[in-house]
Parts: sequence; C-alpha cells; structure tokens
Amino acid sequence: MKASIQFKWCLLVALCFTVLFYGTRIKAAEQPPIPVGILGPFTGSLAFNAEEMKKGMMLAVDEINAKGGLWGRKIELIFGDTEAKPDKGVAAVKKLITRDKVLVVGGGYASSVNIATSEVCQNEKTPIVVAIAISPTITSRGFDYVFRTSPNSPQFLAGVNDWLERMKKPKTVAFLMENTDYGRDGEKIWSALSKKIGAQELAHLYFEIGDTDFTTQISKLKELKPEVTFNIASTTEAALIQKQAKELNFVTQWIGVGGQFTEAYFKMAGTTCQYAMGSSLEPTLAMKNPVVAEFVKRYEVKYQKARPGIFSSQGYDNIMVIMDAIKRAGKPTGDLQVDRDRIRDTLRKTSIELTQGKIEFDKTGQVYTVVPSPVQVQLVDGKPQLFIIYPPGRAGAPYQAPLPWDKR
Amino acid sequence: MNRGPFKLPLIIVGILIVFAFPLIIRDRYFQHLLVLSGIFILLTSSWNLLAGYSGLLNLGHAAFFGIGGYSSALFALKLNLSPWIGLPLGGTAASIFGILLGIPSFRLSGPYLAITTIGFCEILRLVAMNWVSLTRGSLGLYGIPPLTPFRFSTNFSIQFVSEQNAYYVILIFVFLTLILLNRLIHSEFGIGLESIREDELGSQSIGIDTSRYKLTVFMISAFLAGFAGSFYAHYVRFISPEMMALGETFGILTMVMVGGLGTLLGPVVGAVLLTFLSEGLRFLEDFVKIDIRFVIYGGLLIATILFMRNGIVGLFKKVAKPSESNGR
Amino acid sequence: MESLFLQQVLNGLIVGSVYSLIAIGLTMIFGVMRISNFAHGDFSMLGAYFAIYFVVLLSGWAGWVGSLVVAAVGVGLIGFFVERFLFRPLLTRWTDIDIIMLSIGLFILLENGARLFFGAAPKMIPDPFQSKTVNLLLFSTSEIRLICLLFSCIAIFLLQLFLTKTKTGVAIRATSQNRNAAALMGINISYIYSLTFVVGSALAGLGGVLYGTIFAVFPMMGAMPTLKAFAVTILGGMGNIRGAIFGGFILGVAETLGGNYVSMQYKNAIGFVIIILVLLIIPQGLFGGVEKK
Repeated sequence: MKASIQFKWCLLVALCFTVLFYGTRIKAAEQPPIPVGILGPFTGSLAFNAEEMKKGMMLAVDEINAKGGLWGRKIELIFGDTEAKPDKGVAAVKKLITRDKVLVVGGGYASSVNIATSEVCQNEKTPIVVAIAISPTITSRGFDYVFRTSPNSPQFLAGVNDWLERMKKPKTVAFLMENTDYGRDGEKIWSALSKKIGAQELAHLYFEIGDTDFTTQISKLKELKPEVTFNIASTTEAALIQKQAKELNFVTQWIGVGGQFTEAYFKMAGTTCQYAMGSSLEPTLAMKNPVVAEFVKRYEVKYQKARPGIFSSQGYDNIMVIMDAIKRAGKPTGDLQVDRDRIRDTLRKTSIELTQGKIEFDKTGQVYTVVPSPVQVQLVDGKPQLFIIYPPGRAGAPYQAPLPWDKR
Repeated sequence: MNRGPFKLPLIIVGILIVFAFPLIIRDRYFQHLLVLSGIFILLTSSWNLLAGYSGLLNLGHAAFFGIGGYSSALFALKLNLSPWIGLPLGGTAASIFGILLGIPSFRLSGPYLAITTIGFCEILRLVAMNWVSLTRGSLGLYGIPPLTPFRFSTNFSIQFVSEQNAYYVILIFVFLTLILLNRLIHSEFGIGLESIREDELGSQSIGIDTSRYKLTVFMISAFLAGFAGSFYAHYVRFISPEMMALGETFGILTMVMVGGLGTLLGPVVGAVLLTFLSEGLRFLEDFVKIDIRFVIYGGLLIATILFMRNGIVGLFKKVAKPSESNGR
Repeated sequence: MESLFLQQVLNGLIVGSVYSLIAIGLTMIFGVMRISNFAHGDFSMLGAYFAIYFVVLLSGWAGWVGSLVVAAVGVGLIGFFVERFLFRPLLTRWTDIDIIMLSIGLFILLENGARLFFGAAPKMIPDPFQSKTVNLLLFSTSEIRLICLLFSCIAIFLLQLFLTKTKTGVAIRATSQNRNAAALMGINISYIYSLTFVVGSALAGLGGVLYGTIFAVFPMMGAMPTLKAFAVTILGGMGNIRGAIFGGFILGVAETLGGNYVSMQYKNAIGFVIIILVLLIIPQGLFGGVEKK
C-alpha cells in the first residue's frame, strides 16, 4: 500500500536523523572541559584569515592546557563556522549557546556577521568577546553582554588621522572603498577628517568583495590625480589594486587599514605595494615590548618559522582575555546562567597586558586602550616591510613620499 | 487516488507526531532546525509550483524571499507595523515583483528565462547592497522585532521568540500552504499549468490563456516565497543582501530535485532532509577536518538528475507501483 | 596628454577580449548541442589552476605560453569526459531543465571541489613582464595585458579560420544550424558533439589563464565569467559565434564606460541589464541566434 510504505520510510528516515543528531553529543566525561565557543568564517573565501586567527588562539589555549588548564579542567574551544554570512553565523552561535552550552563566545570576523551574532548573544544572555570587526555599531547598542577586543574604526583610524592632520596635510583626497560597512564606516570618518583639514574630496568610488578588475576605478582616479587615496579593502582586493595601479601608471599615497597587510598580500603584490600606508596592529612592529617578543618567539616555535600577523595576535589576545575573565570569575558552579553572568562581570574589569598592548574595556564593552599606529610599506633590500612612521617617539623609519613608477 | 482503509488514521498519526516534535525533543537547536525546515518548505513548494508544475525555471527565487523579508522588516522598523500584518504585506510586495518577472516568461523559456531570472535577482541584490540609506547595505537590518505576542491577560501571553512557538506558527502556515497547493494542483488551473509545461503551443490552441496562467502562477509562487522571507525576518531578526545570492536559489533547487520535482510532497521531503543533512554533514566535517559539505551537495544534485530524476518521492512511487510510469 | 575615455575603452577591450573567448565556447556548445552550461566559467577556473601549477615547473615566458597549452589540453580533456558521461546520457532523454540543473550541480561540485583541493587563498599567475607598464600617448596599460588582448584576438581569428575553412569546422556549423540535415549529409553527430564540447571547454580554459593573469586565481572565480559569458551570448545571439565575438567586446567596453560615467557601484549589473533589455526587445540577439531545438 503506497501510503503505509511511504509512512514507514518517513519514520525510518526520521529515526536515522535523530540518531545522527544525538550521536554528536556522545562525549567521554571525565573532568569535563570548560567550553568556549569560537566563531569565524572557517569555510569560504575568508577562511585563510580565520585560520590565522585560529592559530593565535590555539597557541594561547595549548599553553594554558599544558599547565593543567583551570582548576584541573582543560579549556576546550568549540568552533562555529559562520561562512562569513550573517544567517549562518546566527545558526552557528545559537548552536554553541544552546547545544554546546559554552560559557562565553569569542572569535568572530567581519562586522555584518558580528552585529547579528552579538545580538543573539545579548538575547541569550551569554557574554561574547568579538575579536576582529571594526564597525562601531557592535558595541554601541547598549548590550551589556557584548565586548570587543579589537579597536573600532574611529580608533583604528585615529593614528593615521593625526599624521594626516599634522604632517601630510593633503590638499586633495579620493576614496576607493569596499562596498561594505567596513569600507563605508571608514569612509565616513575620513570624509569628516577631510572636511576638517580642508582637503578637497575628488571622488568616492566603490567595489565589491570578490571583484578583481579595478582598472575602471583606477583610470578614473588617475585622471583626477588625488594626493591621497583612501582605500579600505581586504587582502586580495588591496593587493590587486596596487598591482593594477602600477600597470596603469597611477601614483598616489594609498592609505588603508591594517587588516590588508597579511602574508598573502605581500606575496600577491610583490614590490608594487611600496609606499602604501595603513593603520596597523602588526605584532612584529612592537618587538621592543617583551610581551610581544615572547609571543612572536613562541608562535614561530609552534608553527615552524611562520610569522604571526595581525589576525593571529588578535586571536591570541581574544582568548587570553576570555581565559583571564574565566579565571577571575572563579570555579564554574554548574549553573550556566550564573556562570555566564559572572564572566560578564569579570570581563568588565579586565586589565591585562597583551600583544596589542593593554586591554581594558569601557562602559560599552569596547576596548579603548589599544592604539594602532600608522605604518608604511618600505623596501629593505628589495623586500617590502612595514614600519611605523609616526609619532617620532615610536617611529621605526621616516615617512617616504611615493615616487613615480619610472624612478623606483 | 487509492484511499485504502489505513490511510486516514496514518495521516492523523503523522500529523500528531509532527505537532508533538518539539515537545518530545526539547533540544533548542533541533527545534531551530525544525523552524528552518518549515521556512524552506514554503520556499521549495513555491519554487516547485513554477518549475515542477509549470515548467518555468526560476533561478532568481531568492529575490522574492529577500523582498518579503526586507519589506516586512522595514514596515516593522520604520512604520512600527505589527509583524503579523507584515507577513502578508511582505508576500504581497514579493508577488508584485512576481508579476514583473512573469511578463518576460510569456516569450522566453528554458535557458533564456533562467538567465533573465538570475539577472533579475542579482540586480535586486545589488540594490539591497547599495541603497544604504534604506537597507543599510551589506550591514543588513538588525533588531527586527519578533512576531508580537498574543496577550490574553496581564499574566498570560504567548510569545513567539522561542523556537518552539515559532515552530507551531510556521507549521500552521505550512499545512495551509500544502492544502492550498493540493487543491490548486488538482483544479482546472493546475491541470492547465501542467499542459503548458508539456506543450505550450498545444495549450494555446485549445484555448488556454497561457499568459494569464503564467502571470498568476508567478504571483502565487512569489507570494509564498515572500511570506517565507517575512517570517524568516521576524524569526532570525536579521536580514542581509546575502539572502538573495544565487547560491540560495541553488540550495532550494537542490532540495526540490532531491525530494522530487513536480510532486506535492517532494519539496517537503527535500527541505527537511537537506536542512538536517546539512547539520549532520557539519558534524562530519568537524570529524574529517575538511569542508566537503557543498561538494556533497553538488554530487548529490548530479547523481539525482542522472539516476533518480524524480527524486525520493519518485522512487517511492516506482517502488509502490512499478507499472506506472511518471510520464517522463 | 591622457584621455580618460580612451583609457576606459582600452580597459574594456582587454577585458572584453577575454569575455569573448569564454563566450565563444559557451555559444558553440549551445548552438550545436543546445546545452546551456552553467559550469562553463568553472572550466575557465580549472584552466587557470592548470596554469598555476604548470608555471611552477617552468617559469618566465616559456612557462606562460606553455601553461596556455596545458590549460587548453587539460580542460579540453575534462570537457570530453563531462560531455560523454554527464551530458550525453541526458540529451535524448530529458528536457532543458534537467540539463541546466545538471550543469548547476556540476558548478557547485567544481567550485567547492576546487576550494577543497586548491585552498581558498587567491593566487596569481606570475607575469613574465613583471607588470611593466606601457605608456602609449593617450593611455597606459601593462605589457602583459596587451599580450593577452593580442592572444585573444589571434585565438579568435584562428578559430574562425577553423570553422570556415576546414571540413570539420564546417561540419560543426552545419550541425549547429540543422542537426538532422547534417546527419543526413553523413556527418557523424556523436563525434561533432564531443569535438564541439572539447573545443568550447578548451577555449574557456584559455580564457581562464588570461583572466587569471590579468586578475587573480581563486576557486570562486568561475561564477562571474559564466554569467558574463551568458550575457555576451544573449547579446550576440545564442549559438552565433560572430555575435559572441562582438558581444564580448561590447560588454567589456559597456562595463568600463558605464562604470566610469554612470555608476561604479552597479558596474557588474550592466551585464544583467543588457541581458534583460536584449531579451525583451530583440530576443534573438544583435546578430540572430539559432532556433531552439
């Protein structure tokens, strides 16, 4: 009979899924580990940046677990894949909170995703410490469970803005921005700055993530000849823009944000990125700081000569802040909500020296003690390196104005 | 249809189990998946109406979903409209665009129509991305209010924020939709659609106004998809332009093909199966440490088309009645 | 004295030449077999990855030219198997929708499989000229881009020769116009099918190498060229090779000029707007397409 066969099949299939579903929860139970949820785009086009973040995090976690963890319990990072999409991020964080019953959520990359996931955490009364996202919106909604170890965009750009205002004083500027909140937030800030210093805004141009052809935009910029071109982009786009600028013989002072200066960027752009500037938290720039030097050394040992970049140090700091807060909150009581609230309270009082500098949160949960520096790519023995160029006390090298292509 | 003595009690038991699901399995994440399945059932069923019954390949279906979602969200956020009103309004907004898309379908078919629908969806997605003052661009709309609770007295009200309650709401809509579609398919209109699918010229020659039929079916399909989008917006409480990406439509399409194109239950089976499979595969990925989830989808779609053209439901029908061919 | 207008036109022509190359393959396959292959752009992607790996073995000039050959042969081979084992069984049995769905499944499989195999990080095909710029009087570009433009034009020219002057080429065109008549004239349709698909895919592979040289190589790179190729074929008339050639250049220039003078943000939408307008107003394309089935 057609109907009864169909029905039996349905039951069988439903049974299979329930088994599959619950099968994932079978875990050996000794001293249960302390669960911490970590969000990130572990699949998809941003996966390689998330990997960097993860490497920094694992460095921190492995260190603590090697010393026995906290109260004899190991810290366990449970990863939730956001695929860099807000709806998948929401599903992933819900799973971490309700099924994996994590005490606190960390990680996170890309503002649009984090705006959604942090709202979920607030609704679920679970503390979240956002690692890598700069939109001010994340910490400006009055959510007391939301913290962020990364500077927001006004803070990121402050270092460069100072330098622009006092030293460079450009007369003409242009904008070539990624068409996302990442790009548009920065655009708003720099546009305000331009008005303040009396620089003429020649053009506002955009591109999508995933675009590879910037010749149209660059050709237009070339005709306008801006002294400074603000360019907020991620690794691939930023590198391609540098390359295509050379191909079209376009010279300007490029200014961006630190997130683009990754290994992949330098590999792709080669020497064409000489003179590009940004505002960065690159750990290796602060080697004079013993905490940073120690971190870099241990990273190179663990990952065999790999150099840590901005995302690895942000990941490392993110986990260290979380573990510090868990420690100060005291041994977990077993009541999930009580434990989560305690961690939220201890997070508020965080004050710790890490690779980005000192981490303390203000009333809105935003870190305010980390100060990115304006950096410039300069060639040393033909190889591109980053140098802090301002203020004079911290500068590693003086600013170099970009030369025309035929003179390089 | 063969209505034996066992069918009605089985159906009743089936319905009872489906209603009881969230009470049996209390795990909130499981319940969340159930809600998602419900939303997808609306999407797959509406897509199936176009592709399966009418032979109209719409690769821009995600646009209707997005229009419904954004409309309802904006009505709630900017005009303080109740989300309950937003649901049908979102569907209506989508159906207006459905009519727009229906017009090209008079003259175009097959790949030409498919590409037009892709273009349509992409353009709308770009609008959502770039009209920042309205949609906040890629940042998306957040803080969308949930479905307003029913207040019965000062102490007693039913909220719709929890997965469980949201599930019951979507379940009711799913049942309504399936009943509606069932009647539609077996009506003169539905038979007309199938005849257009099989032989458009022939249908016109026997007096079927194919243009009107196509317009109507696009309207209905878009309404359902828009409705699903509105519900989604008030459940997840966040929406962004990615919801209108081409890949989303491909996901819906895969669900329908695997479940069974051109059948009533095919989209249901496909939606539930692939939503849960997606989670099971996530578990597998953690285990194997590589992301094979989408590779499996691609392979599944290819295998389905080559070997299991009528999907899972088609397989049942063959097993139950090996003599009856499906006409294709 | 530089002219922005001419600069943008040149930019458009360069990109357009790559669009043309890829679109010709798509339109040939549609013309002869009535297959709309949504995975066509992924063949370009595979071609680009072939190049990446080959260039490691042999660098500089020889490497780049060699990688073009390797990409064409490699992707052509893949195309052969895809046609024979995936599409061929469907051709007689099922409808348009099935073929499109199959190609969509292939698209999902290839794109994500590539991500798995090659990693998501974008790579570059090394430029034998090291991005040296060429400054012509009214505009500038890089040497390698000019070479790519030149190469595309030569490839297109050779293809046209093949199609008009060789027996096999004429057979392909005949099958495209009227399959039954061609069969009656003694043309081996099965062989033509395979050949067309192989040649079309190989062209896509070549386009992929050029695309990857000018821009970058990453697993998701196939989606855009696919959609642009469809836009071009519709603009030119589906199945019409001359239409694809002109259509590619027209689309390329329309995008750069549209982006420059109208709106940079909607640059990618220009292709879609063209599709919709063409289909509504002149559905057979600028040069006339083939009859459906």
